[in-house]
Amino acid sequence: MAKPRDDQRLDLLQGTLDMLILRTLQWGPQHGHGIGQAIRAQSDDLLKVETGSLYPAMHRLEKRGWLKSEWGVSEANQRAKYYQLTAAGKAQLTRERDRWSQLVGAIGRIMNPAGSE
Amino acid sequence: MRPDDRDLDDEIRGHLAIETQVRIERGESPEAARLAALREFGYVPAARDSMRRVWYSRWLNVAEALVQDIRVGARSLMRAKGMAATVVITLALGIGANAAIFSVVRGVLLRPLVNRDEATLIYIRQSAPGLGASNLTFSVPEIADLKARVTTLSSFGDFSTVAFTLVGFGEARVVQAGVVSGSFFEVMGLRPVLGRLLNEGDDGPSAAGVAVLTHRFWTTSLNSDPSVIGKSIGLGSRTATVIGVLEPSVPYPADTEIIANIVTSPHHLGATMVAGRTHRMTELFGRLAPGATLEAARGELESIHRAMVSEHSDSYSAKAGMQITATPLRDQITSPARTILLLLLASAGVVFIIACSNVANLILARSIRREGELAVRAALGASRGALRRTLLAESLVLCGAGAVLGVLLARPFVAAVSSFAARFSVRALDVVVDGSVLWIGAGLAMAAAVLLAYVPRLPSAHGPTGLAATGVRLTPGTNRRLRLFATAQIALSFVLLAGAGMLVATLVALQSEGPGFEMRQVLALDVPAPLGDYGTKVIDFYQEVTRRVGELPGVNAVAVGSFVPWRDHGSFGPSVPFAVEGYTPANGEEDPRARLRIVSPRFFEVLGVPLVAGRQFTEDDRRGSEAVVIVSQSVAQRLFPNGEALNRTMWWTDPYFGKPVPRRVVGIVEDIDDENVVRAPAMMVYHPFQQMGVAGRVFVHASGDPYALVPAVKRVVRELAPNQPVERAATLEDVRAEVLTPERLNAFVIAGFAGVALLIAMVGVAGVLAFGVSARTREFGVRLAIGSTPRSLLMSVLSEGMAIVSVGIAAGIAGGYACAGIAAGYVAGIELPGMLPLAAAAAVLGGAAVLASLMPAARASRVDVLQALRSE
Repeated sequence: MAKPRDDQRLDLLQGTLDMLILRTLQWGPQHGHGIGQAIRAQSDDLLKVETGSLYPAMHRLEKRGWLKSEWGVSEANQRAKYYQLTAAGKAQLTRERDRWSQLVGAIGRIMNPAGSE
Repeated sequence: MRPDDRDLDDEIRGHLAIETQVRIERGESPEAARLAALREFGYVPAARDSMRRVWYSRWLNVAEALVQDIRVGARSLMRAKGMAATVVITLALGIGANAAIFSVVRGVLLRPLVNRDEATLIYIRQSAPGLGASNLTFSVPEIADLKARVTTLSSFGDFSTVAFTLVGFGEARVVQAGVVSGSFFEVMGLRPVLGRLLNEGDDGPSAAGVAVLTHRFWTTSLNSDPSVIGKSIGLGSRTATVIGVLEPSVPYPADTEIIANIVTSPHHLGATMVAGRTHRMTELFGRLAPGATLEAARGELESIHRAMVSEHSDSYSAKAGMQITATPLRDQITSPARTILLLLLASAGVVFIIACSNVANLILARSIRREGELAVRAALGASRGALRRTLLAESLVLCGAGAVLGVLLARPFVAAVSSFAARFSVRALDVVVDGSVLWIGAGLAMAAAVLLAYVPRLPSAHGPTGLAATGVRLTPGTNRRLRLFATAQIALSFVLLAGAGMLVATLVALQSEGPGFEMRQVLALDVPAPLGDYGTKVIDFYQEVTRRVGELPGVNAVAVGSFVPWRDHGSFGPSVPFAVEGYTPANGEEDPRARLRIVSPRFFEVLGVPLVAGRQFTEDDRRGSEAVVIVSQSVAQRLFPNGEALNRTMWWTDPYFGKPVPRRVVGIVEDIDDENVVRAPAMMVYHPFQQMGVAGRVFVHASGDPYALVPAVKRVVRELAPNQPVERAATLEDVRAEVLTPERLNAFVIAGFAGVALLIAMVGVAGVLAFGVSARTREFGVRLAIGSTPRSLLMSVLSEGMAIVSVGIAAGIAGGYACAGIAAGYVAGIELPGMLPLAAAAAVLGGAAVLASLMPAARASRVDVLQALRSE
């Protein structure tokens, strides 16, 4: 698969970054760089998260109690801060996922009204 | 847990390290990998900032930025030390003076009294405007009338001041004592700190003599000794037992050391006191009845007083126009200090405004010099808010330093101002520097800081920025602002200077007034006789004192009198009506009045008062011989313009003197005015001491230093009477100086303010001109190059300075009169200065302005043509 060119990358919808971070952390603790890489890889390079938005977003989630963090050592032997989901974070992820499905469904119905195809 | 800055940095560093590692593994060179990681990450401080913002509130961020700005501001101010020091000192003076004076105003005018429920406590005053008597006090029959009829007042307290010779606390001496009835302390709402106070049981002629000590006397003279309770003390001819100590309170109406019951004063039990309707010596206080208002009490007192006056019309002359007024006690106590304190407050406020406008000028000039810097910062993306914040930070540093210094200054200021204000209100004595000073100082500084930060204009985002400009550029608008501030300073300084000039002029007039008698060499001493003892023994005593003191070396002459000029003013009652054979008052005119004085034979010689006609008193004018008097020239000339006053017979017509005794006028002396420092024609009638017996003052004319005689005089008197007080020895010159102290202090304090204002204003004018000159260096260079003489440049700068001053003075005169007009509506007794102080103030300001302009003007005339032209 060819890498998408920069102008093909998609901007994130408002509010979805939080959900993506929570979702990424469902597989286990990860540091900021890893989260960014994971989102990028999972979206086949379509979504590229700016570090300038990623880090504040993770701090925001930590402040709200959905994430907790601790210092650890990365695979490459670098000191890094690892984030992991809290119980509240898991509940929040469920809520956001539901809301997201509703939103996608609603937008889909508007864009592709039943019977128009 | 909140991450701190280190955590955030570490996290970012970790991210960059991992990214670099990933790239190296992908085959990039370490150097390229590091740079790429950085590039991809974006602006690190911005990222860190946005992470911080998650955890720390916006205000905290602003505050932190401000702290940062303040650090930068402090550093940049260190590079402009002269300007910073001027600003800090100027502000400190303004803030310190305001904080101090406000503390005193608060302590004197606003602080509540300790008296219980002071809102219902009133002071009742009887006055006779027709006689010029603003406080006549009351007689016992008058008080009885009021008590019997008034319903809006639930109780009355009375207080009269009596001088007692106090024996029992150290050396015998004369003390002022309050004599009160038992209801006094209950009405005043005061409590004892020790023992008990007087009550109704201490009233009446058969009660035992008891006395209460005032707190100040007990603590300062008796070391707060609790064993004084129960001690027996001698008060004149009676004894009394000390029963209690009063709590600390404002001593009103008189600052006495003890307060005793009626029975201690034989005079209070005598017929004159009890039945004499015109024998007034008692102050009256009252408590409003529950539900009664002050207005209602005033109305009722007035109507009862009117009725009383008409019932006893023989005792109240129509001309006197007797009135009665009631005021809350606190207003009564503070009213003498109110005017002077408000005046001080206004002066301090003016100094503060001058200080601020001067500081504004300095800061404005500074901000013009750094317009380039601000423009660069604006071009680099600093928002207007950030620039303003920089300015605010600097002015906060300046004003904060000024406030700290000002608050430190406030302590000595408060001490000075309260000892000054103590002349007008005893409350000022216990004013202390309290927390309010800090708040006032901080508040004033904050106000100044915010104002000052908004004085300079910011570089405009549009239009040409100052980036290209290297020198100082002065726009007409800014120049106008600078001048406006300088002019305002001149105007305000002028108001203060004119006020100070007026007070100084008054003082000079008072001090240069000749009294008409010798002052420097005459020593006056209080040697009081026991009150009410007018017998021959007393006369013998004073004659012996006169003889023995007269024999001391260095004594030219000795006399006995009844009245120390100025010092005894107010203690001897008002003028007394009299009649003279051969003089008939015109229809409807009252009897003439004169001051009654009692003097021994050599009195006029001691004071150096010339005899105009007739003879002096002699040792033969004694009891049993013909009753004689000497009158002042005013009496002689007013009643007998043709000069036949000598040998006429006069007698006092006041019923207080009982059956009229005819007395022959044997001499006429020149006028002296022993009551007013500014001399007025004085109607005086002198009695020979040996025919009256009442004296109490000894006058000694010394050939050398008068004060050197005091121990000898004391010794001589004590040899005759061991318990005899000899007090308050002072030359008449010093007595007058003492009497003039309030005037001198007023002039001194206001002149001090004016001096500070003048100094600040001069710095302001010099600063504005110097700044103008430095901004116009190039212009001056061009003018010199095309043929102007240095002299003409000098004159042009000087005339600029004079223009500022003239406009300022004109504004000062106009504004000063307008303010005085407004203030006259609120504060009684505002006087406008005459032409002389105004002219003097203008001259001082003008002269100072020329001096202040000289330096910048000289610099203008010395501009180096080549350098000036090359400078841009």
